[in-house]
Amino acid sequence: MENFQVTRLDSEQMSTLKIGGFLDAHTAPALEEAIQRLVDEGRFNIVVDFKDLSYISSAGLGVFMGFIEEIRGKNGDIKMCGMSPKIYRVFDLLGFPTIYQIFDQLDEAAALFEPNAAPPSGN
Amino acid sequence: MKAHHHIAMRQLSSRSLLVPLGLFLAAVLLDINALTGIVSVASMQYLREAMIVLALILSLPIIYKQSWALDRNVLRGLKSLFYLILGTYLLLLLSSLESFAVATLRSGENALYESLLGYTVITAWTLFSSIFALVAFAMLRNLIFIKQKKNTALNFLLLMLGLVLYALLSFTHLGDIASRFSYRFNGETVGYFILFVLINLMVINSFRISWLNYLNKKQKLVIFAGGLILVPLQWLLYLKFHTANPAALFSPVLGRFVDMGFLFLSIYLSVAFIVLVFYLPTAQIYDRKMRQLASMHDLSRTISAEFDQTKLVETIVKLAVQVTEADACWLMFADAGGGAWRIVASHNLSEEEQTAGMPERINRWIIENAEPRLNNHVAKSELNISMAVWKRDVQSLLTVPLNTSEKIIGCLFASKRLEYGFEQDDLDTLRAFGEQAVVAIENARLIESSLVKERLEQELRIAHDAQMKLLPKVMPDLPGFILEAVCLTANEVGGDYYDFFRIDANRLGIVIGDVSGKGPQAAFIMAELKGIMEALARHHDSPKQLLIAANETLYQTVDRNTFVSVIYGIMDIRKRCFTFCRAGQCPLLLAPALGETVHVLEPGGMGLGLDRGALFAKGLEEINLRLQKGDLMLMYTDGAIEARNARGEEFTEIRLVGLFQQHRNLSPPQLKERLINEIVRFAGSAKSHDDLTFLIVKAM
Repeated sequence: MENFQVTRLDSEQMSTLKIGGFLDAHTAPALEEAIQRLVDEGRFNIVVDFKDLSYISSAGLGVFMGFIEEIRGKNGDIKMCGMSPKIYRVFDLLGFPTIYQIFDQLDEAAALFEPNAAPPSGN
Repeated sequence: MKAHHHIAMRQLSSRSLLVPLGLFLAAVLLDINALTGIVSVASMQYLREAMIVLALILSLPIIYKQSWALDRNVLRGLKSLFYLILGTYLLLLLSSLESFAVATLRSGENALYESLLGYTVITAWTLFSSIFALVAFAMLRNLIFIKQKKNTALNFLLLMLGLVLYALLSFTHLGDIASRFSYRFNGETVGYFILFVLINLMVINSFRISWLNYLNKKQKLVIFAGGLILVPLQWLLYLKFHTANPAALFSPVLGRFVDMGFLFLSIYLSVAFIVLVFYLPTAQIYDRKMRQLASMHDLSRTISAEFDQTKLVETIVKLAVQVTEADACWLMFADAGGGAWRIVASHNLSEEEQTAGMPERINRWIIENAEPRLNNHVAKSELNISMAVWKRDVQSLLTVPLNTSEKIIGCLFASKRLEYGFEQDDLDTLRAFGEQAVVAIENARLIESSLVKERLEQELRIAHDAQMKLLPKVMPDLPGFILEAVCLTANEVGGDYYDFFRIDANRLGIVIGDVSGKGPQAAFIMAELKGIMEALARHHDSPKQLLIAANETLYQTVDRNTFVSVIYGIMDIRKRCFTFCRAGQCPLLLAPALGETVHVLEPGGMGLGLDRGALFAKGLEEINLRLQKGDLMLMYTDGAIEARNARGEEFTEIRLVGLFQQHRNLSPPQLKERLINEIVRFAGSAKSHDDLTFLIVKAM
């Protein structure tokens, strides 16, 4: 079984989850747990960095859907960045870019959580 | 049958006691004859003694086979012996036999025959004391044989032989015979020699007291108390009978036998008593060892019988308390993910203590010091502050981490309220206990996971069957078009779905979809989707309107992390046009009859169940295709492009489009075969994890 890694980096404004490997029905619970922990700690500004992710299945996509309502309800957001074209294609087919802000670079996503940041414009 | 046989044997041997008794009575008859002086023969004396010796020898093996003489219950045996000796002593006092016998003895042997009363008393006492000696022998033999060793039987046999021999000496003047052959010996010397050997044999047999080992402390104390009375009493009894032995008046042989019997009983009881006194101080430790052994045994029995983890951990704690005699005991499991430790079973922990769990600092300390520890002075150790916050009354603490070969799975704790409550020995025992517990826990976990696996496999089979039942069994009849569809399911149900809905005579609804997730849940949503589509297909002429309605329904019923991607289109055979929408699904590939290119048609549209409605409706585009003769359409699910080979490479959309273009001239069934073969060949030995579905439509 291919593995999946998630590492977390906290700053004052937000938390970054760097995910790598294979995100499918088998590994989705690990990501779910990581996001749940952030939510439990009241950290609602989340950036997910897809740079090292090589595969995502529908179950992996579902993880984000499971949290987004609650996080936005708390004035937070999940922003995404660093997707390979292949991963972006999966998001795109399902229409995720209309639901989430997806950026090329991590700092672009992170900038939106800075205080006094300009209103999001998406990409 | 066997039991009956056994009882018959016992009854026979019981009855066979009549034989020696008969011989004894015969001796009495001889006496009566002598008393009345009907027949007077000097050699009668020898006949009489011979009969008595025969009666004695015959009765020994018979009495040894009696059921009470084979009872392995030490306490019961000792109790009978106690009452026997006490009773005899009281009887002796009451009958004032002593003075009578002494008087008789002083007046010479002839006094025996001087009065019928005297004779009767002496005979009765002889019979009684003989039986007493025999019974005592049987009881001692039972005690001696409880833990039989190599020489046990031989030593006892030698003792019996020596006893009979010594008894015979009193009458047969063997000593005198022996002295005839050698001037060095006279009868007395031989007698003393045999007596010396006999007493040695008695002492040797008296050390067969291993039954003492198996008594617990309480039993030892009870026996000690009994022994305080019994041993002096027995010696008194022996001395009384030794100085005035009625049996010796009746028969010298019997007299010696009884005398020696009383002596042996005295020696045996004395030795046992003295050894018991030495055992008493260690009785508690011995008891504890026995209890520990029993607990270990219980645990190993539990291992083989208890696969329910909850019950198992409770048993482990319960037995650990027995092993260590701790005031409190608890078992903690380490989280598989390296997260929090939690108390899974406890003895004498309050609700709060249980739910709070031990402070994190202590848990870290356990992991860092992953070895058994004995801490008899918690208040002065590094643990004190953390421990006192959680549980106050821990002064002595045993810590035994539970390690498998790779990792620490938990930790067993036992505590006492007092300082220096435990010994090194307790730690060693708990450690050994912990090793057993690890095996038990691992066993239970293995079995549980295999049960879970089996259940999951069962669920998957059901899900797979359900999925297969949801797919159409035959292709609908569509004049002017050829329809072809296939769904290859992975071993884990992937949630692929295709279906057709007859709208009216000219129109057919066609759907291909993929439910996110896998397994039974995906199968249920697929069933729901089929129901929704069936219900909506007749009422919506526009795929877009249908999907907007379907999205609304699905959004309300499915979990937030679940969604469905579909292409839904309506084929109008009269107008020969196909109107479709794509909701999150892979694009539709169109190979027009004219031209070489393959069109990848990807109108906008989100997956179903992702958005409440507005965003979904806004992004959903509808495409209307007019189909010419020879136009070929291919719809597929992501299983087709995400198929992997052993090197981890994906089949990809590009490869699929290329393949479609290359084989566009094949008939739909041939094309279907071709695509599947190519993907299967590509994947090679790699196992597929997702369903794979193709839907092909060709205009004729």
